[in-house]
Amino acid sequence: MKLKDLLFKLWVIFSGIIIISVTMGLFLYLLYKGIGVVSPEFIFDSPKGIPLGRSGGIFPAIIGSLMSGLISGLLGGLLGLCTAVYLTFYCYSEIIRKYILLALQCLAGIPSVVIGLFGYTFLIVGLGMNKSLLSASITLTIMIIPFIAIRMKKALEETSKEQYISSLSLGIPKGYTIVKLVIPNAFKYIMTSLGLGIVFAMGATAPIMFTGAVIISNVPGKLTDPFMALPYHLYILVNEGLSVEMAYGTAFVLIVVVLAINIICHFIGSYEDM
Amino acid sequence: MTVKTDNLSANYGNKKVLKNINIDFEKNKITAIIGPSGCGKSTFLKTLNRTLEEYGGKADGDIYLNNVNIMDIPIQELRNKIGMVFQTPVVFPFSIYKNMTYAPIYYGEKNKEKLREIAVKYLKKAGLYEEVKGDLSMQASKLSGGQQQRLVIARCLTVNPEVILLDEPCSALDIKNTANIEKLLLDIKKEYTIIIVTHNLAQAKRIADYVIYMEDGAIIETGTPDEIFNSPVDSRTKEYIMYMKN
Amino acid sequence: MKDHRENIFRIIITIGAMLSSVLVLLVFFYILKESIPFFKEAKFSDYILGDSWSPLSSKQSYSFLPMILATLYISFLAIIIATPLSVGCSLLLSFNAHKKHTRIILSFIDMIAGIPSVIFGFLGLVILVKFLEKNLNMVTGESVLAGGILLSVMLFPYIVTGCTETFIKGKKIYYAASQSLGVSKWYTMRKIMLPFAANSIFVNMLLAFGRAIGETMAVMMVAGNSPIFPKLLGRAETIPSLIALEMGTATYKSIHYSSLYGAGLILIIIILIIQLLAYMLNKTGMRRF
Repeated sequence: MKLKDLLFKLWVIFSGIIIISVTMGLFLYLLYKGIGVVSPEFIFDSPKGIPLGRSGGIFPAIIGSLMSGLISGLLGGLLGLCTAVYLTFYCYSEIIRKYILLALQCLAGIPSVVIGLFGYTFLIVGLGMNKSLLSASITLTIMIIPFIAIRMKKALEETSKEQYISSLSLGIPKGYTIVKLVIPNAFKYIMTSLGLGIVFAMGATAPIMFTGAVIISNVPGKLTDPFMALPYHLYILVNEGLSVEMAYGTAFVLIVVVLAINIICHFIGSYEDM
Repeated sequence: MTVKTDNLSANYGNKKVLKNINIDFEKNKITAIIGPSGCGKSTFLKTLNRTLEEYGGKADGDIYLNNVNIMDIPIQELRNKIGMVFQTPVVFPFSIYKNMTYAPIYYGEKNKEKLREIAVKYLKKAGLYEEVKGDLSMQASKLSGGQQQRLVIARCLTVNPEVILLDEPCSALDIKNTANIEKLLLDIKKEYTIIIVTHNLAQAKRIADYVIYMEDGAIIETGTPDEIFNSPVDSRTKEYIMYMKN
Repeated sequence: MKDHRENIFRIIITIGAMLSSVLVLLVFFYILKESIPFFKEAKFSDYILGDSWSPLSSKQSYSFLPMILATLYISFLAIIIATPLSVGCSLLLSFNAHKKHTRIILSFIDMIAGIPSVIFGFLGLVILVKFLEKNLNMVTGESVLAGGILLSVMLFPYIVTGCTETFIKGKKIYYAASQSLGVSKWYTMRKIMLPFAANSIFVNMLLAFGRAIGETMAVMMVAGNSPIFPKLLGRAETIPSLIALEMGTATYKSIHYSSLYGAGLILIIIILIIQLLAYMLNKTGMRRF
């Protein structure tokens, strides 16, 4: 018995140390390697060198990622919120509810690369759209709708039902109650869900590889321009063996942007905490 | 006569929770509904202002408010006329002032003075204004449980309801706060018709003009507190009252 | 009075919800529709048992088998590595750490879950693959092993979060009662908490497995991408990598194109079956406790 307990104890401590040190180690390693590369020039300049990317900066990729993340976050956030509100408050048919939920859950299970395949063949090849910010953002939106809707639905369901009924009992209609009482109440979780959705979209590579992200471009001026994105740029730097150093910098910036968006959404959510 | 039901039944899915309820609630009186838990008391309240549908339930039969079938009244107007108070105090996560003006603002009152007037008037009625010393900017959630419940009742009054439904409003409160609420209800019954669900028989005895005993989704017996508590006719009522007394 | 506003709000919400649903359905039907030609054209024996994947050679052949095996192999390897470590780590966090520390570590591990997979791929390439090349005397470190190890790191957050939740639930119910019998903390964990959480651990494992199967970038960057039968120390190509690598080159509406959709469909079906299984197990598990 004592021996078994001892082995068990060793296993628990060993795995705890491994997991915490590996995750922490990778994170710190990346920060350490990346921070040396980052300079004003790296952030605010376009890729330079031969082939392009060897030196210079990643400014178009930062802006491109932010734009695609913002557009798909906006679209996906709105559609996701509508779906969540509809499922929680307006859908009286149990059957329709179940089917929408099932469809969302199934879509959430589809790997992002298949969504990318869909976006590419349906939007670009089928409908003849340009490889552009718009087509990539639509593809990303489709990818994050179930992700956002499921989380927002949970947030809405966790608000007090009695509070909602109390408002209705004052003769206040549903819509007003939802806008003035329910959504402000769930605002923090709605914003965190949105933040996670945007981060998910900005980190995705496979869905944008063929729908809009390109190896080199300027900051997109309109929705129909192709764009550079941080994850795709990182993939190209590594895959084409252009520059490991630049790759560390790009990865660093990508992580910082992702974390910043998470924190900002969290902050906006808490700020409204009444 | 204000509220009257005619062959009212209700069900959640296949589960029948109310069976053929026929009852008249008298105006400006307090009617207490008593009965074992799960007997359909709360469901009955929910059918009266049609909030049952929000819980996925369905009612059959007719309910009349001042001789008008409630299905013929727009749902908001109906809920406006029939207010509801829950077991746990459901204050909105705003200040006291915002709680009190939440509904009036919706109904189009924009004048700041008027809004404040309404808030103060009903808070005074609930005896809360003096207790918070006129500080209406305080977060409602910082009030004590009893104060919160009175705030909820005051908020309910801001829309000038005719009927107030209370679902065990005191079961989460201590004796002193319960007494406060009871006093408040006795004060306001001149102007409103009050229907209260309670498991506290002493409370029903103290404040009710009429008592209804329900069991298994049906009304077993109705009468004055004296009749129900001292000389119940039905053996089931008798048994319940004996049981609760011990 | 404000009825029109209510109606507008309701209509907007309904349209939004319908639009989302239609988009979702569109994706499904499109995937189904586009993969039909392939399943019609190629015989079952071809895409499961055919010689190899060579869509561009004169004698076209579409066998998914190596890719399916590689996907399952790498994911399975990842689960085998990740589960015991994650469960151990959850036990450590739930029973042996200060509550505050647990929360900090958990939110850190959560954050790791938010790191884009392309970053994991990059780190895998510069750290893991290099390490394997040096220490295992491999010609190239890009291999099933590299994919499995890297993927297991990416799965840590999911399994650790899920299991810790269950352990903390179990701790609330049984811990005090067990401790009052005077047995050691470790004995309680081993004899009560592990059996209590067994079902949940398995469900988390399945969900992680589903996630692993669909993972694209990270695996693609370290597994070598050769459509051959997978060996632990050899290169391999998973289905998601196959789709990502060939979608740009397949001619629209050709069999090659349709075969990519077919591959996607097979992937989705595997994932849905796993999710369904996890869902059902989760339900029965709930009933038992």
